[in-house]
Amino acid sequence: MKVPISPEPPRWADRFLEWYCRSELLEEIQGDAYELFDKRLIANGYKAARRAFVWDVLRSFRLSTIRRITYKFSSDMYKSNFKIAWRSLVKHKMYSAIKIGGFAIGIAACLLIALFIKDELSYDSNYPEAERIYRVVAETTEGEFAGQGVDFPAPFAKALKDEFPEFEKVARINPNSLFTGGGNPIRRIEAAQNTYEEGFTFADQELLDILQIKMIYGDRKHALDEPNTIVISERKAQQYFPNENPVGKMLITNDNKDKPVKIGGVMANFPSTSHLQYDFLISMKGVEFYNGEQSNWGASNYHTYVLLKPGVDIAKLEKKMFSVIVHKYLGAQMSKTELELVERSSRLYLQPIRDIHLHSAEIHDGMRHGDIRFVWLFGAIAGFILLIACINFVNLSTARSSNRAKEVGLRKTVGSSRGALIGQFLSESLLFSWFSFVLGVLLAWALLPYFNQLSGKTLQFPWLAWWFLPMMVLACLFVGMLAGLYPAFYLSGFNPINVLKGKLSKGSSNANLRSALVVFQFTTSIVLIIGTLIVTRQMNFILHKKLGFDKEQVLLLNGTQTLGDNLPAFKNRLQQLPMVQSVAVSDYLPIAESKRNGNEFWEAGKDKEGNSSGTQIWQVDSGYIPTLGMKIVEGRNFSTAMKSDSQGVIINQALAKKLNLAPALGKRITNGGQSYQVIGVVEDFHFESLRENIGGMCLVLGNSSNVVSVKIKGQDMQKAIQQISAIWKDLAPTQPIRTTFLDDSYAKMYADVRRMGYIFSNFAILAIVVACLGLFALSTYLAEQRRKEIGIRKVLGASVGSVMGLLVRNFLVLILISLFIAVPTAWYLMQKWLEDFVYRYHIRGDVFFLAGFSVILIALLTISVQALRSALSNPLDSLRNE
Amino acid sequence: MHRIHLGEFEELTLLFVAVLHGNAYGVAVMEEIEQQTGRAVNISAVHAALRRLEEKGYVNSEWSEATAQRGGRRKRLFSITQAGRAALEQSRDTYLKLWEQIPGMAPKISFS
Repeated sequence: MKVPISPEPPRWADRFLEWYCRSELLEEIQGDAYELFDKRLIANGYKAARRAFVWDVLRSFRLSTIRRITYKFSSDMYKSNFKIAWRSLVKHKMYSAIKIGGFAIGIAACLLIALFIKDELSYDSNYPEAERIYRVVAETTEGEFAGQGVDFPAPFAKALKDEFPEFEKVARINPNSLFTGGGNPIRRIEAAQNTYEEGFTFADQELLDILQIKMIYGDRKHALDEPNTIVISERKAQQYFPNENPVGKMLITNDNKDKPVKIGGVMANFPSTSHLQYDFLISMKGVEFYNGEQSNWGASNYHTYVLLKPGVDIAKLEKKMFSVIVHKYLGAQMSKTELELVERSSRLYLQPIRDIHLHSAEIHDGMRHGDIRFVWLFGAIAGFILLIACINFVNLSTARSSNRAKEVGLRKTVGSSRGALIGQFLSESLLFSWFSFVLGVLLAWALLPYFNQLSGKTLQFPWLAWWFLPMMVLACLFVGMLAGLYPAFYLSGFNPINVLKGKLSKGSSNANLRSALVVFQFTTSIVLIIGTLIVTRQMNFILHKKLGFDKEQVLLLNGTQTLGDNLPAFKNRLQQLPMVQSVAVSDYLPIAESKRNGNEFWEAGKDKEGNSSGTQIWQVDSGYIPTLGMKIVEGRNFSTAMKSDSQGVIINQALAKKLNLAPALGKRITNGGQSYQVIGVVEDFHFESLRENIGGMCLVLGNSSNVVSVKIKGQDMQKAIQQISAIWKDLAPTQPIRTTFLDDSYAKMYADVRRMGYIFSNFAILAIVVACLGLFALSTYLAEQRRKEIGIRKVLGASVGSVMGLLVRNFLVLILISLFIAVPTAWYLMQKWLEDFVYRYHIRGDVFFLAGFSVILIALLTISVQALRSALSNPLDSLRNE
Repeated sequence: MHRIHLGEFEELTLLFVAVLHGNAYGVAVMEEIEQQTGRAVNISAVHAALRRLEEKGYVNSEWSEATAQRGGRRKRLFSITQAGRAALEQSRDTYLKLWEQIPGMAPKISFS
């Protein structure tokens, strides 16, 4: 190191010494240190002297040398702070009410949403080995099967277990309704009457082991390891076997008297935060749904869950898994090009069980899931509302600064330090925050049932949870500080001389910041309002879209296969009812959660080059097309009179186009096994969600007897249902009748859209209410500030209108700016959301116009109340004092 | 007579304040200790001892004139008080008394 011309000790050490050292000791200590430095400089050189200096400084840092902490705790001071805060709160009742009310609304919204998010994030985390449990997912990026799925062939699980020592346990479930998963009639063996229950699935014994499900009765290790055993949930055990141990008892499912199932155990109910929601687990042991099914690699119906051994490299395992399964097990059945395609475009991966709930939007697994985007959206909205509420606080505090300015000036003059003033204002803010939290928590508690409806949850208010109270107190302190910090520093920074001279221009200082905050509030509100409008429009679009079928007035009777041989008679008797227009028997319906399949079709005699895999082939009867109100654009409907129609097919326009069949009538199409002659073309109808394109469709005559659809004439649905039920009771006295309406089932497909609409509209209302509260208080205050000015103007002849204009103009400009920012933001965000739908509402300008107009109207009304009062006031009142 | 609490290092420091007679300040005391006893002492220790001695009333201090040295900072000059002298004497007497009680060990030094 070069020695400077006038060598000095290290600056930082010197500074540090000056910072910590008590002033009365500083000169001595610093002087001695400098003297030593000079001496050592000569004796030992620059570097050593500097080192020694630092050492001296550090060694001098002792309890006896450091400054006394000047801040002294005094409970009196706090008492006084809070007393003054309380007085100011009580004195300005309206401001206080608005501040506290707005804050409370924000807090309640935030709290509810926090509960929601916490619940969403806690899915599937309660299993003892949760971090080692995975679900196997297959992803394909090319071809008609592109997408992610969790259905695997029956022998897949065994292959995993045999090939890879990394898996500790592998379990399958098969909830597919093709194999009587889902909903079934059930009864105790000694009972006559069946009850319809949902939540059936076939499952391996290993599932219980992997999840370590708690058992109420029976041995978990052997509950499902025998053929024809069933494990039922606690709630169902209570229902069917109240107050007894049902292990070993018999149940009859699907009215199948020959094959009763034995109860192997009673498991604890799946918690509401589980993606698996089953009440009946039927053992897979010895089950084969058709000949050779258990060793068939061609049909995929099994969800596969695995428990990994600790410390497995997952990425490596996924690769190995894919390669072995494809080459050793699937390769035999594929051509070389097919194999190449699979290798190029597919992979297997392991999805952690905790991710299933929120990260399965892309995965087709037939379950209802949350969506991480939804969680984010919710959180963002909550944050914004809290922010709007905080902004009210800041705005009102700074706007009223001139009222407090004199207080500040006087306090400073009589010797109050800035720190004490900041403490004073922060106490005030904390007091507000405290009231707001109490109110907000109560509000959230009161609104929880409503919120549960909104979010489709069953949340409980966590009064007793260990984290709740401490969290609330911490949040109260934090929010109180956050909202109070700016006003505290702003207000305490006044110069007492100016203030006491009356120089502080009233309420106008910091108008810029205030304006910016108002703009922020209204931008948020407008974005939410536009969001509400667009979601509502999309929902209307969905509900009123011409679907290619008529969903109104169609009653669905489920579970009709239990009628057995009586089904034709049932159909006949229904058709004789005067209120029934037509009847169709088919499991396949154009709504989600009804039966589906997928086939390859091509024109007979040609190459199967047409890309037509994934084509639906639906077994229907001749009543199907009239009952669902579909339109035949070419050819004719099936006819019961023509025997040859059993070889006939009615295709949709999409398939005709895909296979290039023009004209289609008379052409033969085949799926390899069977060929059909096209006798008609039906207009395209939406049989999947509007999020997807319409695919190919073949309607053929066939037997699928689970669902009977009835088109009703006239308005009296109640009567129609009664008559239909009477016939049902006659033919199937032991079976429950289950009816739904086609339009209801259709609307259910879009429950998420509807929910999004509710959420948007509710929070839009909250946001605009809070923002308007703030605007109201702000305009009131500013109008008060200008009382004298208004008085003088009126004396000089200003009209009520011009005074109104004066008061309203500023705010109107702010709201127009908000509109200007909000419109493109909202447009962008909602466009992104709408992209989920292939068929969607096209955003038009009127949405923005409507939103803008309503916000301006609401804001104007809010401001006008006060502006009008000021404008109409007698100038004498305001000028009398001069 | 109240008990005096004079730590070993305090006593040493007090002795050197007396020895340096009117010229005792932090650095000087430190150097003197180092030279005469061969003990390596940090300046902060000397300061602390001087502060404690002043609190006990055994030394007084006053500021010297400012000079160009020490960055223009004044020295704090310590001088021993009457009480300090008494404390030293008492300490010495105690030691002597104890020395005399050790068999066959007559004190070699004598005070005038």
